[in-house]
Amino acid sequence: MFRELVSLTRREVLKLGRNPAAIFTGLLLPVLYLVLFGNGFSINPSNFLQNPTPAAIQAFNVAYFRGAPNYYSYFAVGMVGFTAVTATLFIGANVIFDKLFGIFKRVRGTPAPAASIFGARLIAGTLQPILLSFFVIALALLFFHVPGLHGLDVTASVGFVQVAEIAAAIVLLSGMFATLFLTFGILIDTPQTYFATINLVNLPILLTSDALYPWGSMPDWLRTVSSYNPVSLAVNTMRECLFGSAAYPYPPAVYLGALAVWTAAFVILAIVLVRRALGPVA
Amino acid sequence: MSNSPILAESLSKTYGGKVKAVEAVSFEVTHGESFGFLGPNGAGKTTTVSMLSAGLRPTQGRAVIDGLDVSQHAEEVKRRIGVIFQESTADGDLTGRENLEVAAGCYGIGAGEARSRADELIELMQLTDSAHRQAKTYSGGMRRRLELAVGLVHRPKILFLDEPTLGLDPQGRAGFWTFIDKLRRETGLTVFVTTHYLDEADQMCDRIAIIDHGKIVATGTPNELKDRLGGDVVNLRTADGAADVSELVRGLPGVVQVQRQDGTYRVKVQSGERFVPVAVEACSKAGAGVVGVTVKRPSLDEVFLEFTGREFREDEGPTATDRAVMMQRVQGAFRGGRR
Repeated sequence: MFRELVSLTRREVLKLGRNPAAIFTGLLLPVLYLVLFGNGFSINPSNFLQNPTPAAIQAFNVAYFRGAPNYYSYFAVGMVGFTAVTATLFIGANVIFDKLFGIFKRVRGTPAPAASIFGARLIAGTLQPILLSFFVIALALLFFHVPGLHGLDVTASVGFVQVAEIAAAIVLLSGMFATLFLTFGILIDTPQTYFATINLVNLPILLTSDALYPWGSMPDWLRTVSSYNPVSLAVNTMRECLFGSAAYPYPPAVYLGALAVWTAAFVILAIVLVRRALGPVA
Repeated sequence: MSNSPILAESLSKTYGGKVKAVEAVSFEVTHGESFGFLGPNGAGKTTTVSMLSAGLRPTQGRAVIDGLDVSQHAEEVKRRIGVIFQESTADGDLTGRENLEVAAGCYGIGAGEARSRADELIELMQLTDSAHRQAKTYSGGMRRRLELAVGLVHRPKILFLDEPTLGLDPQGRAGFWTFIDKLRRETGLTVFVTTHYLDEADQMCDRIAIIDHGKIVATGTPNELKDRLGGDVVNLRTADGAADVSELVRGLPGVVQVQRQDGTYRVKVQSGERFVPVAVEACSKAGAGVVGVTVKRPSLDEVFLEFTGREFREDEGPTATDRAVMMQRVQGAFRGGRR
């Protein structure tokens, strides 16, 4: 199984490397969001407060931005979660195109186990969103030092544990959505149906998370929904690591654990569905 | 359990409980044999190959490959067979060499051995100069040779070729079959080939099964099948408006069978040479002057017509002539439109 996995993963990585346009557009989207959307939407607490004392600003930030010093910092971390999800959208589409071009048929005609076929695509498909997510963090941190631009302002003390928790949140979130969209790609045969399906899933999940909206402006019902949303769980793990625990009732490990449960549930569901789909056609 | 490389026992496939793609197909292929599965598009050839190669579960019946029941030992069966699909399955983004190495990896072959097998097959398939190029830059013939190399990378004992020369020009087809022939001679490979090119089946197959509407209608060597027709086939065309002379022709010496379609009589006779002068004279005397005669030694076309009751190409898409005529009409319409 291992040799099959290595071989098929190599194929995916080779293909990715030969598609510079996909890499370029993958990088462009978060850059545009960070430079244009983030700067255009930047909300400064002092503009809203009649008496912007440090204590009042701190209270506002806790209530509205879950401890982030400004909207841009809050949003930049949300963009990491947003990127981790959107960069996985094409993973299933690639399977569908491979089906249309006969490549998938060839692989299924070999004794390579379903776990290797799925695993190889998952590894390669998760690699891109993980790298992009770290790119977003790095870029947002860099912008903080660029005059005239807003950037990610880290206010907590970040050590090895926090970095590991941030990395785990990115890996789990990317892995979960890559698993989900890969499963769709294996089960669905046409690009049209695939993109309709992922929009049906992707948009509600992103729009019921607190990745982009200020927490303080969300109605109670949306906050409740958002608390269980996997994107929110990942984003809030990272925010707590970067901005401190003042706005959070639980430590980051709790949010991370809940995210791990989500990911495990999707992996189990995928195993059940994909095993059946990759066996001989009934 | 049979030790034949390929055994099909009452193999059937029904889609949605209604559409019978393959119906109770049975045959056995012996070691080193080249077995042809001949039939028009939609006859059930690909469905049969899919069931034999563990890609499709039969609705009924049993497929046995190299002594293994396909439904119970799918993975092991896949290790023993190579499949060349109708469509190109090579990854266009990868080079020819990478395609081979990835395929080898899918059979659990280690990187070093995969490289050595890729070298060997690249040379055998005469792809040395293009092995480093992405497969999407290959010509149709090169892609087919790469497909064949990919199908052989794990050194299978049995090779399934599903319409392997579809879309190739005559030169490409000839080249492809040269490779297969060489492989068979050198390795004793058993080959199961589906095709709707009758000439290929005639030349390349030791035995042929004719499949039509999901059922096997005849099996035998090409010569056995032709011999079953009982001699030559003479097509007689009488003048427009001439009376029906079917009964008259049927009574002539050496006549085995007469079929009439419009003014043309397809007459199966023991000897065409002896029959023609007698028939022309008899028809003239009966007032149905013969305006055209062709004598054919039996071909697989005739065999197909004999066993299915229709021309092989009836179910096919437009022929090259049809396409040329259509093109002329389209061009004519455009020219007419410009005037």
